[in-house]
Amino acid sequence: MIYQVTHRTTFAYTQPVAISHHVLRLTPRSHPRQHCLRSNVMFDPTPSVRTEGEDYFGNPITHLTIQTPHPELIVEAKTLVDVMKPDPMYVDQSPPWDQVVQQLQRPLDSPNLEAQQFMYDSPYITIDDATYEFVRECFPPGRPLLAGAMDLTRRIYQEFTYEGGVTDVSTPVKDVLASRKGVCQDFAHLEIAALRSLGLPARYISGYLLTHPPEGQEKLVGADASHAWLSTWCPDLGWVDFDPTNNLIPGDEHITLAWGRDYGDVSPINGFMVGGGHHTLDVSVDVSPAPHPSLV
Amino acid sequence: MDSMPASLSPESPDSLLQHTKIYSPQPDTFDELVASDGSVRPHWQELLKGFEGLGVTQRHQAHETAARMLKDDGMTYLASQNGQQSDRPWQLDLFPLLISQEEWQHLEAGLIQRARLLNHILSDLYGPQQLLKNGTLPPAVVFGNPQFLQPCHGIPVAGGTYLHFLAFDVARAPDGNWWVLRDRTEAPTGAGFALENRIIVSRSLPDLFARTHVQRLSSFFQTFSESFLQFSQREDPLAVVLSPGPQNVTYFEHAYLSRYLGYPIVEGSDMTVRDNRLFLKTVDGLKPVDLVLRRVYSDLCDPLELTTESTTGVPGLLQAIRAGHVTMANALGSGLIESEVLLSFLPTLSKFFFGEGLKIPSVATWWCGQANERAYVLDNMDRLLIRRVLTPKRGLTHDRLSSFGPDLNEQDRGALTQAIGRRGHEYVGREIVSPSTTPFWTPDDELKPVPMTVRIYLTATKDGYTVMPGGLARVSVRSDPRGHWHEPGDFSKDTWVKWNGPLDIPAAVTLPHHTLQLRRGGRDLPSRTADNLFWLGRYAERAEGAIRLLRSLVSRMSGEAGIGDDPATLHRLVSLLVMQKHLSPRRAKRAVEGGAGAVEAELRTILFDPDSPDGLATILQNVRRTAELVRHRLSLDTWNILMELTSVPKDWAQTKGQSIDDAIRLLSRMIQHLAALNGMVMENMTRSYAWRFLEMGRRLERVRHLSKLIRHLASRGTPETTGALNLLLELADASITYRTRYKAEAKLAAVLDLLLADDTNPRSIIFQLLTVEAHINALPREETSAALNPAQRITTRGCTDIRLADMMQLAQFTTKTGVRVNLERLLKQLDQHVHQLSDVVAHTFFSHSLAQRISGPQWLEGVP
Repeated sequence: MIYQVTHRTTFAYTQPVAISHHVLRLTPRSHPRQHCLRSNVMFDPTPSVRTEGEDYFGNPITHLTIQTPHPELIVEAKTLVDVMKPDPMYVDQSPPWDQVVQQLQRPLDSPNLEAQQFMYDSPYITIDDATYEFVRECFPPGRPLLAGAMDLTRRIYQEFTYEGGVTDVSTPVKDVLASRKGVCQDFAHLEIAALRSLGLPARYISGYLLTHPPEGQEKLVGADASHAWLSTWCPDLGWVDFDPTNNLIPGDEHITLAWGRDYGDVSPINGFMVGGGHHTLDVSVDVSPAPHPSLV
Repeated sequence: MDSMPASLSPESPDSLLQHTKIYSPQPDTFDELVASDGSVRPHWQELLKGFEGLGVTQRHQAHETAARMLKDDGMTYLASQNGQQSDRPWQLDLFPLLISQEEWQHLEAGLIQRARLLNHILSDLYGPQQLLKNGTLPPAVVFGNPQFLQPCHGIPVAGGTYLHFLAFDVARAPDGNWWVLRDRTEAPTGAGFALENRIIVSRSLPDLFARTHVQRLSSFFQTFSESFLQFSQREDPLAVVLSPGPQNVTYFEHAYLSRYLGYPIVEGSDMTVRDNRLFLKTVDGLKPVDLVLRRVYSDLCDPLELTTESTTGVPGLLQAIRAGHVTMANALGSGLIESEVLLSFLPTLSKFFFGEGLKIPSVATWWCGQANERAYVLDNMDRLLIRRVLTPKRGLTHDRLSSFGPDLNEQDRGALTQAIGRRGHEYVGREIVSPSTTPFWTPDDELKPVPMTVRIYLTATKDGYTVMPGGLARVSVRSDPRGHWHEPGDFSKDTWVKWNGPLDIPAAVTLPHHTLQLRRGGRDLPSRTADNLFWLGRYAERAEGAIRLLRSLVSRMSGEAGIGDDPATLHRLVSLLVMQKHLSPRRAKRAVEGGAGAVEAELRTILFDPDSPDGLATILQNVRRTAELVRHRLSLDTWNILMELTSVPKDWAQTKGQSIDDAIRLLSRMIQHLAALNGMVMENMTRSYAWRFLEMGRRLERVRHLSKLIRHLASRGTPETTGALNLLLELADASITYRTRYKAEAKLAAVLDLLLADDTNPRSIIFQLLTVEAHINALPREETSAALNPAQRITTRGCTDIRLADMMQLAQFTTKTGVRVNLERLLKQLDQHVHQLSDVVAHTFFSHSLAQRISGPQWLEGVP
């Protein structure tokens, strides 16, 4: 499936900003099921310094500095990306989770080593005993890893209420666990913490989701938004995604932007400005199916 | 102590016996001074003989000298107690630790090997990660370590040197061999204290120092700086000391190093990144920074890419480093290697890199991330120190990080066993060390064996690592010495390496840079320092105004001029105290009603109570605080005057009475200090930007104070008959000028002319404004604008207002209620000018104070 994604962010300042620095992760990374066909990030005003690169986790990253006074900043990322459906997943046929934990302790091959990056506490995800107690019932000894992960995904979907505005990025996982409320980022953090507490690797994925308007209504442009889910690692199968907000294994309607240990590693836009008074942030995202560029 | 070497036979009444008779080390520990057969170790004999040869008076003098130096140098570290931070004096035991040259060379070789090893490990882990790929190191050691900073991976490091300046904590085992307890690679503290200890001890015990032939420390710092500066490609590089700021526990040391090395001390907000280059904000614009000696944790150095919440870093710094324009000492992320989880892997790693084992072992440590080691720790918990070591640095106290095995109760042991079972990779078990003992010079003038560790410093040079010949020894005089550094009962010591060959005595104390460039005027004045100097000027002047005012009031309360209980006079005096914000209007009213006695009581509180928030102590505290921030810009004499001035009330409270007479003497003494300070500033400071900011602060404050006084004493009523005008002249320090000029009773118009418009009177308002104008003209400005800048516009307006004013008219014209409205208006305008000028100066020159904000990761509403 090919999508055209438009992600527009507007910073409006009450006073002009003298200088600002930004770090952006707005170009979808490519991976075995996803190809970024075209990506174009535009800025107004034009930055004095712009550097494209890759971060430690292999995500495309843009650094920019704007050195002229500016009352607002517009960042618009337009991308064309091709996402393929995963092969059908038979979660019951995956290896027992406790065997995977053991395997991770032993000498390493390279995918195994890569998975080790995502097994421990990270700045926004602290593992504690409560999380471990929560996850234990999904993972009795010998249960296939992916079956356990699917069950955990379902439990978060069923036992937690999706509610915006009650959490923010600094809300610890244990608070989300206690209040049973949050948004997609919180649910992804929680499931990651739960898997890591068992000694399993889990990584955070930021991206977009194709949304479907209610029956009979036209889809509104810009009404889509960023989404977050996670991925866990299974020997032989590699990384398998789970979306606890929607209780599913993502298919070709989830577009991956970047992955990392937690939200802090993949935040789409970090900024620093001197001056500027207060600022307001306006974000609009539009995801729509597109014809293949060779057909246009 | 049966066998006493012949050379130590008592020669003076102050004999060896007196001090060492009771010196009895524990049998199962190693003692630095005394061998197991009770004899004094050979390399100590000369020193001990010298020490014994000191008379009681000399020993007493040594302590006095040291105490005075500690006080004069303001040597402190910040300590938290009951949630409050306060300065604690540095605890120094004058009796040095002595190490022989042979032993030192052994230590040196081992520590150099270790420094090279750590540098190799860092360059692998932040580079190809071969050690992980080939299984030499378990990945948890790196990926589970919060000090592994992913964004720093792959950043090229000049010369492959990650560690420019590092330290090791070493101790000696009971068998006499040395161990390394901890590696300090992030931003090791204490080298400045070690140097200061050396200066104090060598001056307090000069003969002892001379006869012991001690290797010198200062060339180490010179070597560090020379090597560090060579990491820059530029001809005349700018190096800075990056500090988290005065709230940091070791700020004293940051400032000390800054002064000693000649690098400006800066905070994150003093710098900015443009065009992928790091710049220092100075009053003269942006200056490129090439080298940063970092005293800030790595993860706090760039809020854009590392810890977002950090307020101590420089956004964009990582990009500037990636672009190759900045060298950090140490490289960002170097803290990774400090972790105790690595200790047990170092022997293997040493074989891997060098094909040889460690020359000096680490203290025995078991990492619970491995099954066998974990089992060992769980089985032997009651004889180990258990430490949680892979955990974010902040927010956890030592108590939660360390458990002393023998002290654990059943419940704690159970909890710890479970935690290690689940998250073993975060824990290590460490052998409980009983370090060697060394003599501590007790207040009772005895020597007593106490346990010690030593922190030893190394620096990278182009020929490899060099060790500081000495170090910061620390001893614990508590009965239970397993606590941490910086606790009451801990003392530091100077470490003397007894040298046989020639000493490294530096030829010159100044640091040679690449090439000497003649310079005039400190052009690299960081804007924050300018800001602090400006405020030091303001606070010093504010203190002077307050002190002069108080002295006049106090003298009117006493002696022949005593004013008695006349309510009108009392009211006028007290209202001045209200004007100066020493008293609230309510308390003032109550005092007047209570008569002279009540007013005197209030005055006494203002003068002598060190805790009164409105009193003199608070004003002086402001002077002291700002002075401390710019100490590196002040001469030692200026600094000493400031310290004496600000400690007068405190010293007074301890020693002297609080009568009116005492008060007058106290205030007069402070005025003398202020006069000395003014003299220093005028005669001894170079006319640099630093001096101009200090001066501008003083002048502006003087305008403010004087216009307030005139308004208060002369803008209404009949000041000529009430004595208010004489008081005004006195407070403006113009009585004598007036008398010699007019030889008559004070007349308002003439007084106003003298205090407002006479540009030959150095205390007149116009004189201050003209001086400020001259400073502004001399400061750097944007070349492009030819017209007056905003600051010049304000001073010009102020001077013109005064020159155009008709003094007769100002004095005579009153409203029906007796208010001199024109005078009031003029004074009000002047007051506004001061405010505006202060703002304009801040805006133009203090760019570090601009509001900055970070927009870090935030929840953008997701798709349900």
